[in-house]
Amino acid sequence: MTTWGLLTSCWWLDPLALAACLAASMAYAMPPAGRLRVRRVPLAVALLVLVLALMSPIGRLADGYLFSAHMLQHLLLVLIVPPLALLGAGPLLRARNAGRVGRVLGRPLVAWGLGVGAMWLWHERTLCDAASHSALVHRAQELSLLAMGTAFWWPILAPREEARLEPLPGALYLFTACVACSLLGILVTFSPIQVCSVYAHPVDRLGVMTLLREGWGLTAEKDQQVGGLLMWVPACLVYAIGILGVLGRLFREDEAHGESSSQEVRS
Amino acid sequence: MSTAASPLHPAADPASDDAHGHDAVERGPFAWVATVDHKRIGILYLCTAFFFFCVGGVEALLIRLQLARPNSTLLSPDAYNQLFTMHGTTMIFLVVMPTLVGFGNYFVPLMIGARDMAFPRLNAMSYWLFPFGGFLLHFSVMAGGAPSGGWFAYTPLTETPFSSTQGTDYWVLALLVLGVGTVATAINLIATILTLRAPGLTMGRVPLFVWMTFVTSILMVLALPVLNAAVVLLLVDRQLDAHVFLASGGGNTLLWQHFFWTFGHPEVYIMALPAFGMISEIIPTFSRKPIFGYEFVAASTVAIAILSFGVWAHHMFAVGLGHSADLAFAGSSMLIAIPTGVKIFNWIGTMWGGSIRFTTAMLFATAFLIQFVVGGLSGITFAAAPIDWQVTDTYYVVAHFHYVLFGGTAFAILGGVYYWFPKMSGRLLSERLGRWNFWLMVVGFNLTFFVQHFLGILGMPRRVFTYPDLPYWGALNMASTVGAFVMGLAALVLAANIAISLRRGKVAGDNPWDAWTLEWATTSPPPHDNFHEVPPVHGRRPLWDLAHAGDAAQPTEPVAPSRPRRAEPVLDKGVVAVWSFIASEAAFFLILVIAYVFFNLSGVAGAAGPSAASVLDVPKTAVFTGCLFASSFTLWMSEKNLEREAHGAAARWLLVTVALGAVFLVGQASEYLGLFHRGVGVATNLFATTFFTLTGFHGLHVTMGLVALLIVLGRLLAGDFRHHRSSVLRAVGLYWHFVDVVWLVVFSLVYLRAAG
Repeated sequence: MTTWGLLTSCWWLDPLALAACLAASMAYAMPPAGRLRVRRVPLAVALLVLVLALMSPIGRLADGYLFSAHMLQHLLLVLIVPPLALLGAGPLLRARNAGRVGRVLGRPLVAWGLGVGAMWLWHERTLCDAASHSALVHRAQELSLLAMGTAFWWPILAPREEARLEPLPGALYLFTACVACSLLGILVTFSPIQVCSVYAHPVDRLGVMTLLREGWGLTAEKDQQVGGLLMWVPACLVYAIGILGVLGRLFREDEAHGESSSQEVRS
Repeated sequence: MSTAASPLHPAADPASDDAHGHDAVERGPFAWVATVDHKRIGILYLCTAFFFFCVGGVEALLIRLQLARPNSTLLSPDAYNQLFTMHGTTMIFLVVMPTLVGFGNYFVPLMIGARDMAFPRLNAMSYWLFPFGGFLLHFSVMAGGAPSGGWFAYTPLTETPFSSTQGTDYWVLALLVLGVGTVATAINLIATILTLRAPGLTMGRVPLFVWMTFVTSILMVLALPVLNAAVVLLLVDRQLDAHVFLASGGGNTLLWQHFFWTFGHPEVYIMALPAFGMISEIIPTFSRKPIFGYEFVAASTVAIAILSFGVWAHHMFAVGLGHSADLAFAGSSMLIAIPTGVKIFNWIGTMWGGSIRFTTAMLFATAFLIQFVVGGLSGITFAAAPIDWQVTDTYYVVAHFHYVLFGGTAFAILGGVYYWFPKMSGRLLSERLGRWNFWLMVVGFNLTFFVQHFLGILGMPRRVFTYPDLPYWGALNMASTVGAFVMGLAALVLAANIAISLRRGKVAGDNPWDAWTLEWATTSPPPHDNFHEVPPVHGRRPLWDLAHAGDAAQPTEPVAPSRPRRAEPVLDKGVVAVWSFIASEAAFFLILVIAYVFFNLSGVAGAAGPSAASVLDVPKTAVFTGCLFASSFTLWMSEKNLEREAHGAAARWLLVTVALGAVFLVGQASEYLGLFHRGVGVATNLFATTFFTLTGFHGLHVTMGLVALLIVLGRLLAGDFRHHRSSVLRAVGLYWHFVDVVWLVVFSLVYLRAAG
């Protein structure tokens, strides 16, 4: 199989993800437009990334072929889809009674534990292998990653601004998560042991292993190295962008306040 | 003016205990030795650093003399090695860092309207560790020879088989002492900046120098413990015959490089960020414009700080990390160009359209901009691994980092000296001598280091004591040497300028530059308590606001105090300090844990000899572990009781805590004795080395915690906590819980893995 063939043929329709996307879009189209319109872009991107992560060749290769593809999917589900969805669906969640959810998710320590746990938990060898042997576990993995990702980003991007962490603690929250995530990335990158044994000897149902191993040059070791580096460098960048975002809020608030205080002085 | 109506920050805080010297000490013969005043300590830092700058400068001149001509025999190879090692170590640890810390010490409290640092006595301790560290480093000269392995002390060159003198041991001890001092200062600065800002001075309004010092302090808290742990392991290798970094005993030499650069790259930003802060103060003042894009300068600093921990391996492209790792590190290294570039544009944007006054300070700032860009550009070329392979370890590298550290940081510092000298001394430096100083420095610097780019591309390796007479090499090196002596002349001019101006300089007044930040609101030099009253802060330029308050319609009503939309959290300085300390300790243990995991759990070693599974008595240790964990609970009970003012119960619970901690230590001691009895010592194999360093340092921390708890217990029994509520127990408690968490990690990694 050629690279082009792989990229074009390995799509499949994941009924559950598709249903979720449709439901989200419909729920979003329902309330009268107006000020909600601005947030459509993040939500659309979130759904698009979700589709890419689950239904594109990324999803297919993640299922027992390439550790790096698995890692990419993992990161998209934890670090990209949830924050964008929270940004996009924020008004929607605010409209509903989000208070109860917020009280549970709003505990930063719990949320941090879930977010970092999402990184570490599914790379425990038995769990990682189980996910690619059983479709049910695989499904549970995808759902739990999305849920833990949402929990993690809640203190940063909660629909109600009052529920969010203050900027400086928020930066600390993201920075420590970045450190924890980098550590795992470093461990995976430099570890000579296969993190998930399935990726060492994939069962080649699609007939793509020759392409991957020889065409792309991804030996099992290199594959894991790429996966570790993905978790280490780009994942940390997502946290870094988050930190810049919350710091931006710090400065905006001071600025806005500075203006109002100088108006006070003038009045 | 509405100052009378505005609530003023009371500069003198009668409630706080007077950690300052009394008047007798202020003037007595030991006034400067016994001082805990942040301004005096700042000046002590700067003077000591200037002394070491002269030492390091002379070392550099000797190096350049030796290299002036090909096949020179002025210095022996060994003397040359010692000189470049001492030059690098001195300039980084004894000049640049203390200078930046010194400026931070003097100006951060002034800029945020505080009376002193958060912990004045700790501040004095941090300072005195600095000359002590410098002394230890230089004592090596009398103990058989200075270190000669370069400032990054690559193993195995610095291991006993290859450097048999005690130079490296003194180097390690000096770095440990300096590292402890620096971390203590960093914790102090973090606590000061977070808890002692004047009302209205939110984190979004503090001067950029304060922001940069804040971020730098965080970097110091996280990066220096990594170095400390690494040099401790090196010392264990050298003094106790272990083989952590020696391939001959199964160790790994590259591990040293990883550890060192994990510290070393953030270190580059530790040396650069405060300099950026100085530039961000000087350029707006002399361009008569507020800084362009304050938010971007501050936020891009945070971005640099985060990225700095993810790029260390770009120092190691040549060791063969593999294609994908090279690619990832090349990419992340290039990313750093973005936040740095943002800053350059901010500074240019500030100058753009301003009415620029080219005082000496501004001249240095302008030269900084140009030279730092040159250093940054050559830095980007290194981020591309193939170019790095071509020019690594040549004079191109030497040119690059001198453009960053001298053309960048040192020029910013010189600008800072000219800018802030009037505040520190009350007199202006001579502008005429200043111009001589500046132009000699610019010409000398660029002559010295620009030609080294070419030498590097021509293939001249760094750290060679001499070179053959190849085409152009002699001439270029001679030019470089001439430039170095021009710089030496410039340094003499600076010294003369300071000496003359201190006695005959023009009197500065409070605000000679018409600047806007709070340090200029007080007298020059400031009084002992810094401010008689701190002006009200409603924005980023309090003095400008004050001067122009009458421009708009004057407020007739008293203005309501400026409050941020969200109340800024009120932080306790003790708790902030303990959390920062915990962060630094966590970084220290992280390295020891990584060393253990690397040699025992990653399947690398598989060496013969004792292993966790074969020698450790897990059930016995589990009992002691239970005691330690129980002590966290009893301590918590003690805290609860103290909150309820039940002092007797609090003391009893505390006593139980101490007893449980002691039981743990006794258990650990008996475990060690058992191991020694079976012939398992630190140097037996890598399992033993990493096991003993990890658990040994944990035991040391338990001991420290016990001492702290005993002190608290003593104060509790003496009734110290009856009259004023103290957060001491809470702070010590946090530390104790942290020590327990470390043991949780150690116990599961070392013991449970062995059992299961």
